[in-house]
Amino acid sequence: MAEAPDRAAFERFLFHEAHLLDERRFSDWMELFAEDGTYWVPAVPGQESPFDQASLFYDDRELMKTRIERLGHPRIHVQTPPSRTAHLVGNVVLEHTDEPLCEYLVASTVIMVEYRNERQRIFAGRQHHRLRQIGGAFRIVQKRVDLINCDSAFEAIAVPI
Amino acid sequence: MRNAITDISKLIEPGRIHRRVYTDPEIFELEMERIFGRAWLFVGHASQVSNPGDYITTELARQPVIMTRHHDNTVHVLLNRCTHRGAKVVNERRGHAAKMTCCYHGWTYDTDGKLLAVPVPEGCAKGFDKNAFGLVRLARMGEYRGFVFASLSAKGPSFEDHIGPMKSNIDDLVDRAPDGALVLDAGMHRYVYDGNWKLQVENVLDSYHVPFGHASTVNEKGAQFARRDGDKTGAAVVEAGKNQTAPAWKSRRSYITGNGHGWTSNTLLDDAKRSSSAFDEYRRVLAEKVGEAKATAILTPRLHNSLIYPNMSIMGLNIHIRVIKPVAVDRTEVTIYPVRLAGAPQAMNFANIRLLNVTHSAASFVQTDDLESFVRVQNGLRSHGTDWVDVSRGLGEEEPDRELNATRELATHEMAVRAQYQAWLNYMEGAA
Repeated sequence: MAEAPDRAAFERFLFHEAHLLDERRFSDWMELFAEDGTYWVPAVPGQESPFDQASLFYDDRELMKTRIERLGHPRIHVQTPPSRTAHLVGNVVLEHTDEPLCEYLVASTVIMVEYRNERQRIFAGRQHHRLRQIGGAFRIVQKRVDLINCDSAFEAIAVPI
Repeated sequence: MRNAITDISKLIEPGRIHRRVYTDPEIFELEMERIFGRAWLFVGHASQVSNPGDYITTELARQPVIMTRHHDNTVHVLLNRCTHRGAKVVNERRGHAAKMTCCYHGWTYDTDGKLLAVPVPEGCAKGFDKNAFGLVRLARMGEYRGFVFASLSAKGPSFEDHIGPMKSNIDDLVDRAPDGALVLDAGMHRYVYDGNWKLQVENVLDSYHVPFGHASTVNEKGAQFARRDGDKTGAAVVEAGKNQTAPAWKSRRSYITGNGHGWTSNTLLDDAKRSSSAFDEYRRVLAEKVGEAKATAILTPRLHNSLIYPNMSIMGLNIHIRVIKPVAVDRTEVTIYPVRLAGAPQAMNFANIRLLNVTHSAASFVQTDDLESFVRVQNGLRSHGTDWVDVSRGLGEEEPDRELNATRELATHEMAVRAQYQAWLNYMEGAA
């Protein structure tokens, strides 16, 4: 197997992903996920499983598609007006390499500032991307975002973090 | 200065409610005293404190409360306030403690609230009686099939009077468990909004809003996304191509039973047509336990949402328990617990938990549009141009349902909201 990509390659991917979210290109964002890919935002710190506990988000591609169709619906009231977001991704570290599967577990810190309807709020936490290298490109096998306040009560969250 | 107490009855008229009911901080304070300070309130579920020493903390009428399981296996509902200088004794949302010790001066309580020890006891005033300094117990407590309720008032209707008419709605959820018990160990969803608590309470039994409030969840064929494992589609709420509420949705009914309680019926989703590996196996296990006929009856959709006024609801569709906590006149926090059906195959419980994420989490497809509506109502009600909120749909069309011992009306009407404000007025005007 080829040598693991350097950190800059992972960073480029993460920055691109964040850019798609900030541009509200949600369908393009979804296409970054592998067919078996999942997007997970746990509701408690250190949550071990998305199956036996409630999560803020736990979407497979099918649920992601429903979510994104809804985000494009003309009468999605909670996005009238729409959110504007700015993601900042840093402290990128390759945590683990699974050579046989060509998978890489990449950790980073994410801060998303969201503005909507005269209000601004901050989401922050550590995220883990399990990336699969297929051909020359990465696909997301799982994106997990552990918000520092994941177990607090939230006002409506309409867009992915 | 307005006198909120003497003119309270003028705020509720047949078919309309004065906006002050939602916006006036004085009214809110009075609600905390007269409704939340008197009514039977849902505290938690016994399975949340399954072992001696387990506790959960919550708030009732904005007051910090602990629910514990004592070493004799009894459940206790206590004020979470040190009887010495007032600090909250337990500071985690849930946990386990053989004894509870206050962080400030170390007063230590047993799990039934009894004061066990105080540091430097020789300094206690003459005649100090430890027995008089236990954590304060809520005046009354009641339990039905693990659902624990308490009242801050020693007076008022009995637990049986309050909960009796809604027992079958609790049964509807609990009986879905092959072992006949619910377990609340699957975490929780928590959301807040800048709006009055009653907006969430009203919404629970509001079928009128669904095709419009939740338009973003309805596909071009007029059906909602499939929100239960094994359903090919969700309920058809809009008439295809017509942008109108679907006739089948309009034919649903809502029911009231007094005390502000009520439910909506007939989800339009048919369990006979429901099929997935998880659901089929679950149906098989349930039928094995309770028999084929009873399993079919249990799985025949009868209830959508049930409201146990004033602070909780049960949903049979995306099975969960919802608890409503008023924070301020224009701020409300809601907790939604997924329920695990004891004895059901793991795959069924996992599917239920998973789909609740997309219907009722703070980041869900359904709840988010409701939260937007609540905030917009609270904002709109600041206007002085018109003082009244209209809830007159179906006024005078209520009819008795003798079989169910309830009053019914079309679910797109507003009988259930009117019934909530009748209960509201009864609490607010009732003698202390």
